[in-house]
Amino acid sequence: MITTTNPPLLIHPLAFPSSNSGMSLDDAQIVNDSPQVGFVDLGSKRVSHGSRQGDVDSERFSISMSHREIDDGDARLVYVNDALKTNERFEFAGNSIRTAKYSVLTFLPRNLFEQFHRVAYIYFLIIAILNQLPQLAVFGRGASILPLSFVLLVTAVKDAYEDWRRHRSDRIENNRMSSVLVNDRFQQKKCKDIQVGEIIKFSADDIIPCDTVLLSTSDPTGVAYIQTINLDGESNLKTRYAKQETLSKVAEKDRIDGLIKCEKPNRNIYGFMATMEIDGKHLSLGPSNIVLRGCVLKNTNWAVGVAVYCGRETKAMLNSSGAPSKRSRLETRMNREIILLSVFLVGLCMAVSVCAGVWLKQHEDDLEILQFYRKKDYSEPVVENYNYSGVGMEIVFTFLMSVIVFQIMIPISLYISMELVRVGQAYFMIRDDKMYDETSKSRFQCRALNINEDLGQIKYVFSDKTGTLTENKMEFKYASIFGVDYSGEKTNFEGEQRGYYIQVNGQVWRPKMAVEVDKELLQLSKTGNNTKAGKQIYDFFLALAACNTIVPIVVDTSSPAEKLVDYQGESPDEQALVYAAAAYGFMLMERTSGHIVIDIQGERQRFNVLGMHEFDSDRKRMSVILGFADGSVKVIVKGADNSMFNIIDKSVNLDIIKATEDHLLSYSSIGLRTLVVGMRELGVPEFEQWQSSYETASTAVMGRVGLLRKVAINLETNLEIVGASAIEDRLQKGVPEAIESLRKANIKVWVLTGDKQETAISIAYSSKLLTSNMSQVVINSNSKISSKKSLEDALVSSGNFLVSDDQDAGGSDCNTSPPVALIIDGSSLVYILDTELEEQLFQLASNCAVVLCCRVAPLQKAGIVALIKKRTDAMTLAIGDGANDVSMIQMADVGIGISGQEGRQAVMASDFAMGQFRFLVPLLLVHGHWNYQRMGYMILYNFYRNAVFVLVLFWYVLFTGFTLTTAITEWSSVLYSILYTSVPTIVIAVLDKDLSRRSLMTYPQLYGAGHRQESYNSTLFWLTIADTLWQSIVVFYVPLFAYWKSDIDGPSLGDLWTLAVVFLVNIHLAMDVIRWTWLSHASIWGSIIATCICVIIIDVIPVLPGYWAIFELSSKGSFWICLLGIQIAALVPRFVIKMVIQHCKPSDIQIAREADKFGNSLELTGQEIEMNTSRR
Amino acid sequence: MSNPPPPMSSTPAEPQDPSSPRRNSKRPKYSRFTQQELPACKPILTPRWVISVFLLVTIVFVPIGLASLFASRDVVEIVNRYDDQCAPSGSRSDKVRFIQSAADKTCNRTLTVPKHMKQPIYVYYQLDNFYQNHRRYVKSRSDQQLRNKNDENETNTCKPEDTTENGTTIVPCGLVAWSMFNDTFSFSTNKNVQLPITKKGISWKSDRDHKFGKDVFPKNFQNGKLIGGAHLNESIPLSAQEDLIVWMRTAALPTFRKLYGKIEVDLQAGDTINVIMQNNYNTYSFNGKKKLVLSTASWLGGKNNFIGIAYLAVGGLCFVLAMIFTIIYLVKPRRLGDPTYLSWNRSPGGH
Repeated sequence: MITTTNPPLLIHPLAFPSSNSGMSLDDAQIVNDSPQVGFVDLGSKRVSHGSRQGDVDSERFSISMSHREIDDGDARLVYVNDALKTNERFEFAGNSIRTAKYSVLTFLPRNLFEQFHRVAYIYFLIIAILNQLPQLAVFGRGASILPLSFVLLVTAVKDAYEDWRRHRSDRIENNRMSSVLVNDRFQQKKCKDIQVGEIIKFSADDIIPCDTVLLSTSDPTGVAYIQTINLDGESNLKTRYAKQETLSKVAEKDRIDGLIKCEKPNRNIYGFMATMEIDGKHLSLGPSNIVLRGCVLKNTNWAVGVAVYCGRETKAMLNSSGAPSKRSRLETRMNREIILLSVFLVGLCMAVSVCAGVWLKQHEDDLEILQFYRKKDYSEPVVENYNYSGVGMEIVFTFLMSVIVFQIMIPISLYISMELVRVGQAYFMIRDDKMYDETSKSRFQCRALNINEDLGQIKYVFSDKTGTLTENKMEFKYASIFGVDYSGEKTNFEGEQRGYYIQVNGQVWRPKMAVEVDKELLQLSKTGNNTKAGKQIYDFFLALAACNTIVPIVVDTSSPAEKLVDYQGESPDEQALVYAAAAYGFMLMERTSGHIVIDIQGERQRFNVLGMHEFDSDRKRMSVILGFADGSVKVIVKGADNSMFNIIDKSVNLDIIKATEDHLLSYSSIGLRTLVVGMRELGVPEFEQWQSSYETASTAVMGRVGLLRKVAINLETNLEIVGASAIEDRLQKGVPEAIESLRKANIKVWVLTGDKQETAISIAYSSKLLTSNMSQVVINSNSKISSKKSLEDALVSSGNFLVSDDQDAGGSDCNTSPPVALIIDGSSLVYILDTELEEQLFQLASNCAVVLCCRVAPLQKAGIVALIKKRTDAMTLAIGDGANDVSMIQMADVGIGISGQEGRQAVMASDFAMGQFRFLVPLLLVHGHWNYQRMGYMILYNFYRNAVFVLVLFWYVLFTGFTLTTAITEWSSVLYSILYTSVPTIVIAVLDKDLSRRSLMTYPQLYGAGHRQESYNSTLFWLTIADTLWQSIVVFYVPLFAYWKSDIDGPSLGDLWTLAVVFLVNIHLAMDVIRWTWLSHASIWGSIIATCICVIIIDVIPVLPGYWAIFELSSKGSFWICLLGIQIAALVPRFVIKMVIQHCKPSDIQIAREADKFGNSLELTGQEIEMNTSRR
Repeated sequence: MSNPPPPMSSTPAEPQDPSSPRRNSKRPKYSRFTQQELPACKPILTPRWVISVFLLVTIVFVPIGLASLFASRDVVEIVNRYDDQCAPSGSRSDKVRFIQSAADKTCNRTLTVPKHMKQPIYVYYQLDNFYQNHRRYVKSRSDQQLRNKNDENETNTCKPEDTTENGTTIVPCGLVAWSMFNDTFSFSTNKNVQLPITKKGISWKSDRDHKFGKDVFPKNFQNGKLIGGAHLNESIPLSAQEDLIVWMRTAALPTFRKLYGKIEVDLQAGDTINVIMQNNYNTYSFNGKKKLVLSTASWLGGKNNFIGIAYLAVGGLCFVLAMIFTIIYLVKPRRLGDPTYLSWNRSPGGH
């Protein structure tokens, strides 16, 4: 969903798990190459899913980007420490922020303006305005405006409250103090007064008030550590650098004069491009030189920077946006029926106006003396027609009046009810303690409030692997060191021997996380540097401890004698490796930009870090150049296996390489993530040559990234293999069971992962996605032709399976052919997506029970989702946790973010967020099912409820000379949908449960009700309409015939109709309630009582024509007999049909409910049921 | 209500984002309500229940239906249409001309009592095809004016009968009052004994006490060019003008009766009653019928078989349904919760 070229760059999750942070953020930046596009702005742009040129483009682009000069016209010029000059020409935004939408003055107009963006309100408004025309005044002024003003008022109060809270938090935010350089002294200043160009000083744990380019920090090398949890939710520390040219300057003494030329404010929080001119030097600045508003300075005593973006122009503010808005499938379908209802409405109005026309035409000559018409007004000297403008106009007026009278045929209140119901449903989903994640302490989150019911109809689930199926908690498992596999038995730490620790100043320092160790390896590692094996192991663990970007942080514990070392870093794999090294006695103690200190078996050693080539997605490796105490220099490289084997010296140690490769294969086949470590000693000339080119490259103004990469590639050659590590990323709890449940519920689960094929397959096996009885179709192609061919072959073979499947279906179940699993990789998808081969892939995939896509780029994930979305009506759900899942999450009908280890980008793009994959089961099977059933019922019921009332009004119109008199008082008409009948539908739609949670979880097949659209379909709609017609006839005609030729007056009969229809719709609802809690009782019977009270209140107002009608009416027996007869006669057909269906064609839900009640099991005999499920 | 949720927090000091860690740290508090586990009754209509429901309806409805029918049968009703007989025969326009003329409109009618009629005997006039519920008509009244002398000028709603030509207020204003029925009836037995008609208490007490003012007197009433109906005695307050009060309770349906008075003596079967009436009211212009009705009353009201028949029909239908369901349940029984009926068990593998 990202604009422009969309290169299918693989973020290599093997080496650095799917793009969670820093390193892979570089990729994100490249992929995300349009600087205007931040991670949330992945709207609905045209997507081209991975094209071949993409690679080339991105290559060129990523290089060209650093070369690119910022156009002066596009640039923002910031004069360091000269806010006046900076703001002279352009008025840059100040640092005060304003998230509040309204002020006291603007509240009314703006809030009204925003509210009237909703179609429902416009409809209300038009009707109300029509009603104000004297010709059309059906209702009194009060009654016509009441519903609209009520809704507007409630919403306005809610908005005002929210805005008041925003005002308050703005004020707190704006009035925080920060230290700003004024006249060569740092002074405290309110946060809102900071201006672009000013120099600001932060101390540790300060929240950064605006986007700031770092000038210097307390660290001599200019490093500052920041926490970005407020920005992207990632809790680990990130490093930011001050430029070497500025870090020696002391802000108070040396007057810093410079000019920063940077891009216009944009919302990309991972990109920043600028140049700085200082002391005549020209420096380039990148994302690593800027700290953003909202970050927190950590582990750094102080930092000084210059403000470049302030207030609303900061990246944090530009990124604050609401949750994505999607529209639910049910609502889309409902709109179709709403159109039908509008047609009915127009039909009714036409009928009334035509009849009125005919009536007028027939009586045209008599109108003048007709006592009940009297066309003429004699009160003026000149006798004129009163309120009569000819038959033609009268027809038009009648039409418009009938629209006003029958307005609730379009159940506008339904939209409001639906919103309330969704809020209620969301409340219960959030509060569900079965979806509360203990480990991350996170509740379920509903970010989108309008697609709750879609959860009940999901057909496809697209899942990420790392962090979604797995925990993304890396644990070091095995090592292969110089061709020797150490994958022996593991020790657990018992008693005192709780892993490795060291003594520092009499204190015990321990790694925060203990790692299970291999006994043999532990023994060997203690032998030291002397034996051959010992030397090799020494090299290996030294490499693990040194070759990374981990920062050790010492944390206090409850006991003063003990401290914990917490390894903070951007990659969980690296953390796992460093913890592992520490467990084997190679404990990283300190890291600055210049050196590291490692405690090796109790002996502290200092190594100079002479240089570091950070990870990038092209090289897929990183390297560090270490200067040893003895003066020797070594380069240590760590990376993904395929990238490492290319640069390893194959002339020596061929057997070790071979053995390592074998080990790697076996590791990855059990689902482990592997890394290969290599090392080489640098000779003096070579080192010097590297050093000079490294320095040139790292101080280069232009094209630094490219230059550095070239230096790295030149250096990383002819390595000696050291070994390989295997890290386990454990499956999350309950994943196999969850997948089994989903599969039983007939939901197809596809796994889309960036991992390599072997890892993906093994995870798929362990998560029971793949089973041994499945036949696998694998597509790995490198060209369009071969893709096409393998697709065709696969189609044929899967077709074969399918044919045999069909034949068996009728007969015995004994020899069914196995289900097919499709395994396809990203490079094949490049040739398939967005080409004519898509169709074939779709057919193939829909034949398969399981689809596994490996090594796919983020955009390809979205492409696969789009493939299904475009071709079927089925609902899709995407679930993921990383930035690389964002596009997929936004593409799918329902996007779910896992709020776990990785950042919060997936969560921010998602509609729902939760802590664990297994919560998908209660979410879909229980809440989704309930929500769908409730919402479907509520919509139909609302159609019925309003239509039955409109029809009662309509029938009466036929007996009033087609003049739209309502026997029911106007207040009752207005209150009908607001008060008399609204509460129970909402309460029932929030609380009713067609089945217990236990049944739904035990029999996932019950989810099929949503797939079959059992709660809302056109048959049900038409049945409802027919039922409505019958009920309205009963309600209207029973009193009509009972009181025909009697002395009943209009208001009395109106009261009877009001009570009859309100009782009826509420009893109708009561008949459909499945689970009666006290709330259901209270709402339904309460509504009936409230109606009675309202009718009584209306009838004790002496100036209304219906004064005392209800008392006179109810004192006669016929009233009560009518009321009772209406209820029964109206409901008999519905009851009969319901009972016949329940008995003769019971739905699954019905049977499960009976089983639930009577306690019998839904299992058939064991063997039979096994057959049935295995077929799926 | 449907506004998008508040934007993601960008203000670190006080995160508003509902997902912020601070608020997340608490586990949802367990309660039966939040877990949707409130104690509940889950009725399932088993066959026995279904049949019982139908039988119950039968048991309740049939007696009520029978009682209604009997009540209706006991009501004695004499209906006499007089509009056609009390006007010269001829075309409709002749009749209209007659009714608008100043001619004597006295008319004599003779009614025969078919059965013993117990007092009180209600005397109604019935109009057919008269739309007292016509929108233009029902709106044309001022309840404020009727009630309170000080609101005499509240005549906005009364158009086109709000003021006289010279602008003075009409009390009671509006088409409803203007068109008040003005036929009169007097009854005597065949022995030429006058049957007294009580006109007191024919309207609702609530109307007399609260809706029509005791200090509101008719003014400028029926002075316009077009006479709609009755004149009112300007010395009697509205609250005492019971015919007006009855007329102002506009009828719900185009065929309606209004109480004219009560005869408080029993009438014997075979009695003949002479009615002397003034046929003043113009229904000829719209083909409306006028009828004189004498009726006794039962607990259910007047003579109307509809309720009785409807109740018997529903009761009978439910009995039949009870039988049908019994047969269905016997012929094609289904064990409740029988898993063989589940869709995934019925058609294995097929979807």
